[in-house]
Amino acid sequence: MISSRDTVKVAIQKAAKKKVFIEGNFVKLFAESSDEDVRSYINECKRRDQANRKKRLAITKQVQQQNSELENAAIINKSLILELQQSLEKLEMSKKEAEQLRDEAVEDLETIQKRTQFELIGTIVKVALWVIVGVGVLTTAMYGLALISGTDTQIIGSTWSNMFGILLTNAFSIVGTIMGVKYATEKD
Amino acid sequence: MIDSLMLIDDENLFHLVFEDACSMLDIALSIESLDSSDEADRKFKAWFPDDPEHERPDCVFVDLNIIGSSFDGIEMIRKINQEYGNGCVIGIISSSSDQQEIDKAKEVGAQFWIIKSDDIEPRLEEFYSDYPGYQDKTASFKIYK
Repeated sequence: MISSRDTVKVAIQKAAKKKVFIEGNFVKLFAESSDEDVRSYINECKRRDQANRKKRLAITKQVQQQNSELENAAIINKSLILELQQSLEKLEMSKKEAEQLRDEAVEDLETIQKRTQFELIGTIVKVALWVIVGVGVLTTAMYGLALISGTDTQIIGSTWSNMFGILLTNAFSIVGTIMGVKYATEKD
Repeated sequence: MIDSLMLIDDENLFHLVFEDACSMLDIALSIESLDSSDEADRKFKAWFPDDPEHERPDCVFVDLNIIGSSFDGIEMIRKINQEYGNGCVIGIISSSSDQQEIDKAKEVGAQFWIIKSDDIEPRLEEFYSDYPGYQDKTASFKIYK
């Protein structure tokens, strides 16, 4: 081991024997020595230091490059995620719009169906009323004619009253049914 | 050889590259690397005006955008030149080559602009050969690219 009583030359010789060399900028502070052993030791220190620096610099540069590649990849990833999110948001919006359009179409269809139903009901009511009124008028006219002509009105009279009763009952029944259907449809 | 050199850069990996390159090229004997302009500001503040005799760095390299710091490299140079005595060779080391920023740096007293790249050694070597001119303020502003 190097002791504090050793001269610089002895210390250097001991270090060189153990293959231990000084590293770092401290080496640059050594003055040129006239002693061959000291000079060769210092030169070896400088050479090794230079080689180590060179090696470390190459590795550091490589790490730096990989680091910057990773950073770039992270940026690309981030932008891709952002694009994906934007696409997802657009898709969600399109879905909502499509759903809204579908709902509107269904609503329109229901409205058209209801309108058609109402129109049909209206036609049925009209036709039924015309039939009722027509039958009523016809029976009344026949009964009136029988009364004027002085023929036997016993059968036509009872038929007229029966017919009239039935027609009125049917008319109310039709009106009641229509009102019921209308009420039920409005509730839906 | 430059006795004392200071690097202010937020990228710690670049500290190693810079230190090794400077050491390999025998540019500097002692290098102090700081990762924020605030830290550098605190050091300069402690030296000036209370301790004007303190051994300050002979040369300062400042990054343009120092992430995580209160101010950028140009403001750092302005502070060192105007508030702390303008006693050292100072310039920017950055990957940017934005002319507007270069003009701003010149205005605040930067003496050089080194563009960072994977191959920094030739630029540092060229800078070192111009260094005496920066020291005696005879060299004009130069961009190393």
